[in-house]
Amino acid sequence: MSILYDEQQQAIADEAGRILTARTSSARLKELLEVTGQYDDVFWETCREQGWTGIGIPEDNGGIGLGLIELGLVAEACGALACGAPFLNTGFGVAQAILRYGDAATRAEWLPKLASGEAIGAIGFAEGADMVPGGPALRCTNGRLTGAKRSVAGGSAADVAVVLASGEHGPVLALVKLGQSGVTATAFETFDNSRCTADIAFDNAEAVVLDTPDALAAAQEVLSLQAVIAAHEQVGGANKMMTAARDYSLTRHAFGQPIGGFQSVKHRIAEDYVLVELARANAVQAAASFGTDTFAVNAAAARLSATEAYDTVSRDSVQVHGGIGVTWDADLHLHQRRARSLAIEQGPMVFWEDTLVDLLAGDVA
Amino acid sequence: MTTALEIYRDNAAAWLQTQIAEFGREARRGLSHEEDLALGRRWQAAKFGAGYSAITWKPEHCGQGLTALEKLAFEQEEIKHGFPNDYFGVSLGMPVPIMLRYLPDGWKQERATAALRGEEIWCQLFSEPAGGSDLAGLRTRAEQDPATGDWIINGQKLWTTWAQHSDYGVIVARTDPSVPKHKGLTYYWVDMKAPGVTVRPVRLAEGTSEVNEVFFDDVRIPDSQRLGPVGGGFGVAMETLTIERYQATDPAGFGPPLQLFIDEAKAIKIKGRPAIEDGRIRERIARTYAMQSAMGAIYERTLLSLAAGLQPGPEGAVHKLVSVRARQKLSEFAVDLKGVEGMRYDDDLTRKESWSKSWMTAPTGRIAGGADEMLLNTIAERILGLPQDHRPDKGVPFNQIPR
Ligand SMILES: Cc1cc2nc3c(=O)[nH]c(=O)nc-3n(C[C@H](O)[C@H](O)[C@H](O)COP(=O)(O)OP(=O)(O)OC[C@H]3O[C@@H](n4cnc5c(N)ncnc54)[C@H](O)[C@@H]3O)c2cc1C
Repeated sequence: MSILYDEQQQAIADEAGRILTARTSSARLKELLEVTGQYDDVFWETCREQGWTGIGIPEDNGGIGLGLIELGLVAEACGALACGAPFLNTGFGVAQAILRYGDAATRAEWLPKLASGEAIGAIGFAEGADMVPGGPALRCTNGRLTGAKRSVAGGSAADVAVVLASGEHGPVLALVKLGQSGVTATAFETFDNSRCTADIAFDNAEAVVLDTPDALAAAQEVLSLQAVIAAHEQVGGANKMMTAARDYSLTRHAFGQPIGGFQSVKHRIAEDYVLVELARANAVQAAASFGTDTFAVNAAAARLSATEAYDTVSRDSVQVHGGIGVTWDADLHLHQRRARSLAIEQGPMVFWEDTLVDLLAGDVA
Repeated sequence: MTTALEIYRDNAAAWLQTQIAEFGREARRGLSHEEDLALGRRWQAAKFGAGYSAITWKPEHCGQGLTALEKLAFEQEEIKHGFPNDYFGVSLGMPVPIMLRYLPDGWKQERATAALRGEEIWCQLFSEPAGGSDLAGLRTRAEQDPATGDWIINGQKLWTTWAQHSDYGVIVARTDPSVPKHKGLTYYWVDMKAPGVTVRPVRLAEGTSEVNEVFFDDVRIPDSQRLGPVGGGFGVAMETLTIERYQATDPAGFGPPLQLFIDEAKAIKIKGRPAIEDGRIRERIARTYAMQSAMGAIYERTLLSLAAGLQPGPEGAVHKLVSVRARQKLSEFAVDLKGVEGMRYDDDLTRKESWSKSWMTAPTGRIAGGADEMLLNTIAERILGLPQDHRPDKGVPFNQIPR
């Protein structure tokens, strides 16, 4: 796959931006912040309608069989408006896990529903700060899950989850339907409430163990896929914040000139531009290398650059806006929140730094 | 991707392999500067013979008429072996191509061939003690002799790379001090061996002297050595600076590869544990890698857009800004990591092999070819459309600008 977008890909991006701008609003996002465990249903409806939920799922399985590049472009458009829901990442991750490691029945049951967006997927690997615990406390015995996963993104809205658990012979990936008795998902308040983050408790819940040769490696692989989608969202958000700072600095005057004429402001925005461009380059490169040997390394690099870019640029953008930037009405806090939730959900920087260095140093187990 | 390109790369790599023994890193060890330059000239001739000397130049200029993708492929392979090509970077990068654009046929072809074969070297005489970032602020004068039409040049240039070895140079001088600074400049080529030209090496902090100050005392040149119109020198200078904007750029900022750092971090122990296990070191590796990989992708995208007939963006400024800064930081960190061992400064190692040498030479990279601040201004003003800095000398005749 080329890292230079072709016309069709560009059209997908433009169309996604246009539709999302028409249908989503920052006012709605702010309403969602004031309640716990609700997501933007208009956004999700749009994703379904546009077929975005089916990107990356083969046509045989009810999807539309496009690649990570296309999904990335949609994610970037979502990121620009801070309107994403976690399912864009996790739904894709769940679908890919099933596609690779599910048996025929599991694939037939879930993939069409995930592709159409009728079912929402979540990923529960982490325990505490450990993204891929080697000995998970969640137990899976005879196809039954007992224990808990805390802080699962999208957990209170999802219909199905892939979790990392300890089986009889070591770690396993298990697919679990969340609506059943024996599963309790409890959303809790976060600084970015629309992510539907929830603690999920399993009490002898029925699960299907996926047939992975190495569950930890499979979990890392799913995270890498999600990280690339998240990286595009982060790039979209970072670019939006950089542009907002640029636009504002041209209109706001102080000491007889636009504040964008002060080199301390001007250079800060130029540095932010550089961060956005680096992040974009890595994100696209990672998406283009989907399915090749270099994917894991590229995904980790994309993750690092994108997280750095979105955090830094949203922080800087608030600074450039001065007092107005810290108000509820200015929408900057939406991005400030989203920058952090996207930074955390797919695993923190130290986790990805470690992953990348292991790959580079050739020390992967 | 393109098989043709891969074949090109493989052929180039195979040919380069056959040259390593004679021209590679090992062959250069222990050579004096003069010997290394002589080897470099022979290396240029060898490349010329093999058809790798001017990959993107037109065939009528002895080039191969290929695209930037082939050039990148060749340079990526060439860079691996430490060949002696530093001396020709400026010469073939800017002065010779601009001369080819402006001068009439004949003589210029001879010069281009000689430069490509490493027989002649050109330098670029822009910067002065009083004008570096502010190129249009230069003070070297050129006055026309009304009797002959010749120009007489007086003044001083500074920072002229490889002037001590140069046969020719391109120079910008002030021909009209009574108009605003950008408007009163004119562009010429000069014979560096002409009477009145004095070259004095300037020793840099790192100890070597590839840069020089060049004095012009009543240096007389005919009007035929003018490139572009009288008063149009600033435009030609800008054109010169953009010619080689897309030349192969090394994500390591012309310092050691990250892999060297990784290998050392595996070997070095901190309190008995391999340094590679230390989080601070892992962070450094990961962040540096992420930056370099992005830089590589940006550069590849530029070449792809060029090949697709699109206008490339301002990637050059981003590349230089980020890669050299990062190289400086990583080199400093690497020297630190090695402890007292980091003190070693081996003149036989290049700045791509030695962290201490890379660290000593990195500051020049952040200044030469546009200081960081100027690159940020370029990004801010040209790409982001932010206001120009306040310029009190704007529109003021040069001879009325307060000094
Ligand atoms: C190794 C080396 C090789 C070189 N080779 C050549 C050569 O072959 N030919 C040639 O013509 N020149 C050459 N140069 C010169 C080089 O282009 C200049 O050094 C460079 O442009 C900076 O100019 P200066 O040194 O006069 O610094 P100054 O312009 O005096 O800058 C000093 C400081 O002020 C800052 N500054 C200046 N203007 C602004 C602004 N508008 N906003 C913010 N900050 C600003 C700069 O960033 C810098 O930090 C070379 C330089 C070096 C170090």
